[in-house]
Amino acid sequence: MSVCARAPFRGLLKKSATSRTFSPNAGSTYQQAIESKNKSTNAFVYLSNSDTPPAQCSEGPLHGLPIAIKDNICTAELPTTCSSGVLQEFTSPFDATVVELLKQAGGFITGKTNCDEFGMGSLNTHSIYGPVVNPFQPSSSTAPWDDRERRSAGGSSGGSAAAVAAGMCYAALGTDTGGSVRLPASYCGVVGLKPSYGIVSRWGVISYSDSLDCVGILAKRVSDVGNIFNILAKYDEKDLTAARPCSRRKAESVCREAMDRWKGKGKLKGLRIGVPKEYFPSPLSPTVLAPLRTLLSSLSSLGATLVPVSLPATPYALSAYYVIACAEASSNLGRYDGVRYGTRVEPPPGSDLRRTADVYAHTRTKGFGREVQKRILLGTYALTADAFDNYFLQAQRVRKLIKQDFDKTFKIPNVLSTPSSLLPDFDATSPTTSGVDVLIHPQAIRTAPPLSPPDSKSESELDVYVQDVLTVPASLAGLPAMSVPVGEGEDGWPVGVSVVGQWGCDEMVLRVGEVVEGLVDEARRC
Amino acid sequence: MFACRRRGFLPRSLHHVRLAHIVRVSKEDVRWPGWEVVIGLEVHAQIKSRAKLFSVSRTSGLLEEPNKHVSPFDAAFPGTLPKLNPKCVDLTLRAATALNADVQLRSSFDRKHYFYADLPMGYQITQHYAPIATGGYVRLHRGGVNVRVKQIQIEQDTGKSTFDPRRRVSSIDLNRAGTGLMEIVSEPDMRSPEEAAEYIRLLQAILRSVGSSDGNMEQGSLRCDVNVSVNRPGDAPGTRCEIKNLNGIKSMQVAITASEVFRQISLVENGELVRQETRGFDEAKAETFSLRSKEDAPDYRYMPDPNLPPLLLDETYINQIRSKMPELPDTTSLRLHSQGLTQRDTEVLMTVDAGREVGFDGELGQGAVAYFDALSRGRDPKVVVNWITHELLGQLAARNQSFNENSISVEQMGDLIDLVQNGIVTGTAGKTLLRHMLSNPSSVLSSVQAKDLGLLALQSSESSELENWCKESIAAMPSESEAARKGNKNVVNKLVGRVMKLSRGRVDAGTVRQALEVLLKI
Repeated sequence: MSVCARAPFRGLLKKSATSRTFSPNAGSTYQQAIESKNKSTNAFVYLSNSDTPPAQCSEGPLHGLPIAIKDNICTAELPTTCSSGVLQEFTSPFDATVVELLKQAGGFITGKTNCDEFGMGSLNTHSIYGPVVNPFQPSSSTAPWDDRERRSAGGSSGGSAAAVAAGMCYAALGTDTGGSVRLPASYCGVVGLKPSYGIVSRWGVISYSDSLDCVGILAKRVSDVGNIFNILAKYDEKDLTAARPCSRRKAESVCREAMDRWKGKGKLKGLRIGVPKEYFPSPLSPTVLAPLRTLLSSLSSLGATLVPVSLPATPYALSAYYVIACAEASSNLGRYDGVRYGTRVEPPPGSDLRRTADVYAHTRTKGFGREVQKRILLGTYALTADAFDNYFLQAQRVRKLIKQDFDKTFKIPNVLSTPSSLLPDFDATSPTTSGVDVLIHPQAIRTAPPLSPPDSKSESELDVYVQDVLTVPASLAGLPAMSVPVGEGEDGWPVGVSVVGQWGCDEMVLRVGEVVEGLVDEARRC
Repeated sequence: MFACRRRGFLPRSLHHVRLAHIVRVSKEDVRWPGWEVVIGLEVHAQIKSRAKLFSVSRTSGLLEEPNKHVSPFDAAFPGTLPKLNPKCVDLTLRAATALNADVQLRSSFDRKHYFYADLPMGYQITQHYAPIATGGYVRLHRGGVNVRVKQIQIEQDTGKSTFDPRRRVSSIDLNRAGTGLMEIVSEPDMRSPEEAAEYIRLLQAILRSVGSSDGNMEQGSLRCDVNVSVNRPGDAPGTRCEIKNLNGIKSMQVAITASEVFRQISLVENGELVRQETRGFDEAKAETFSLRSKEDAPDYRYMPDPNLPPLLLDETYINQIRSKMPELPDTTSLRLHSQGLTQRDTEVLMTVDAGREVGFDGELGQGAVAYFDALSRGRDPKVVVNWITHELLGQLAARNQSFNENSISVEQMGDLIDLVQNGIVTGTAGKTLLRHMLSNPSSVLSSVQAKDLGLLALQSSESSELENWCKESIAAMPSESEAARKGNKNVVNKLVGRVMKLSRGRVDAGTVRQALEVLLKI
């Protein structure tokens, strides 16, 4: 594999699309999809130009399968720019651990996908490369695909979701800090998993908010997501926030123990599904509710018990999330100063060069987009001595409450917060454990929103953040959460449902997700 | 949780400050009669680890090519994460133990933010809220005063930036960036610049003896900031000023004595207020100058580092470090005394020992004390120390060499001492042999070399040789011989010297004198 070029993306795209020599994996349906659909979706920002990739791939479960990588995950052979002006032309000297693991398993890194700058956004509109356009087209539409309605692919991993949805790759990696994998998966009609925090290595993942960032997986089918998950869920000693092998084993054992007790034909007898009332906020569009209701009644008829639950700290989650994420972002993004790598804007002649910050300001003002600047400023304020207690510490307290809410709701203990001496006493069948195995709730408050023309103020700025109410609690608690397509809304666009499990119960989330997928398939056939 | 820590610190330390202030009887200083000076020190000591604090790259010496030891993490490349080097923790625990501090079972790392070109990440990782050790002390020999250590924290060093005024560019060298530092904060317990100087010297000796740091101020592996205030005896301490970037004990003393104390006294005497501020020191003018006032102090926006889980230590681990603690200077000194060494010999040995190379990751390296210890195993310590301090150190000094350049192994030196003690070579021949061995370094045993060089003491079977040398000398010095025969005893010494020279020290002077007396019939 070789890097296309260190040329700016726009030039590269033209060259890639017209160059006769550009025929990686020629003839494959994935490649055909890239050639016919990338321009219209704007999903890939860099493409590998390697010929016949499978020959160069190692043997393994992913042999020769093309996998797309979000532009904020480091690859040594393709640039990694976080879709930001400040990292234009930047190529990392190393592969992220997740990239390394995919290559070892035989995967072929087909390209880098568009995203919101540094992962900050929910619509994939804050990108130096322009927005990602959702590849979906309702079956009722008669317009040619290229002229389909322009809707958002969701963000921040919009390029990864679109690449999967358009059939341009087998699977894609995204990152999920507050919903950035689950939301685009929901909007594009694909499966998107945010694993438990600490299960997948963050080495090589460019930090937005370290305590929240997770590498996520997007694919068309739950089983494909599961395949990739099994390859990536490895302890990495380069990441000190990675869950220790003993915690992994403990979580796996309590999770399997619980699943082993599910019985019956559909194997759902004994599965207790919580439906949290706080996840139906007023801005929720009724159009996403119908597919969810159908799903819940099908699950119930297969033997699962539906339990209305309450997570009372949920209303505070959004504020806490933005304080923590922005505070960490303001710290993490301090390194983009134009001194060692990335874009550098020289101070104009006559500038005051006495203070370092004034010199950096030129690079940072030009290099960062508006949303990133906004969050850096908010985070910087939250960390100042005067604001620290009321913002950052308060947010940490809320985060603790959110975790406690989840721990109280789940039947399975959180191995990270339970002393190991208490674990053996846990009994999944005990009548006193009235908790639930998983939570199911709407993934998004609506179907994919239309892409508004640039600079139009059609949507109030706060509306963009309201969506995050449904995704940030699992991020704050570090829980596994997956968006699974459950059909279409009244407008014919995809609707996703969220399955959330206890920490370390990624396998259970995948298993329930597979059941959901099966039920949706069945409903389609009827 | 963090708030508790923050609030917890202040009242306790204030309490300590007042207490210390009351407890110490103020002694009039002739330099500033009617005034009391209060000094506290913040010392940054580089941890002597092979690798940096959070990355795999090596630590660097002063003279290395710039930017040679820089990993992507050190240069703050995106996607990199810190990984704590356990050696740095071990060495800090040694220092904490040596300073009698309480090691905290739980400490944590925080980010201190500011923009500077030699700080690649835009923040320094330090231990602001929960340091690794608190509450220790250093006992000064001067007046038997204890200087309390408030806390010890682990943090990262910065890179270096140098400004070239001619080209108007700054060059950045990241070799030092990310090297581990121990910040050792004292309470304001010192009352004179001399006490401050002794505190630093003791700290240097302690850190070096346990292998935690080179503690070298000239080379920048130990740096200090000084807090100074003045008050009338019996009054509360005055407002303190911090003097930064002092590059030696001398300049620290000059900064306090020649400038800062008098500046503050004259402000108070003129009815003005001392403003809390950070000051620099101009060595050429011997003056401190204002860098920034308290109002301009940057807001470092401290934040717990989300990439570093809390550092949890258990008692077993700490005890393991304690049980392997190298000897501290005071203990060494007592031990040497108990072995019969004089005060002077002990001081010489320990001064030389202080100049030894501190090994990486806690390896102690061969110093003069270790050399002495190895040699005195099974030998008379007083004989051994004489050979080291008088002969070995003397000859090394004559050759302009330091003890670190000594090429003679413990085995060779021990063999040499044994040869002399057992009369196999004379003391004089032993010294000749030592000189030869320093000039011609080899691993050959001293006894073998003595034989090859013909330096073995004359045996009784070889008495004819002695007679020949005596006759030769008498013949060569007829007037002196004549005088000797006439009873001039002093002139015999000249003849003895001549014989000794001819024998190359293989016979001792007494035997020569006897043989000469027989021949001269006196």
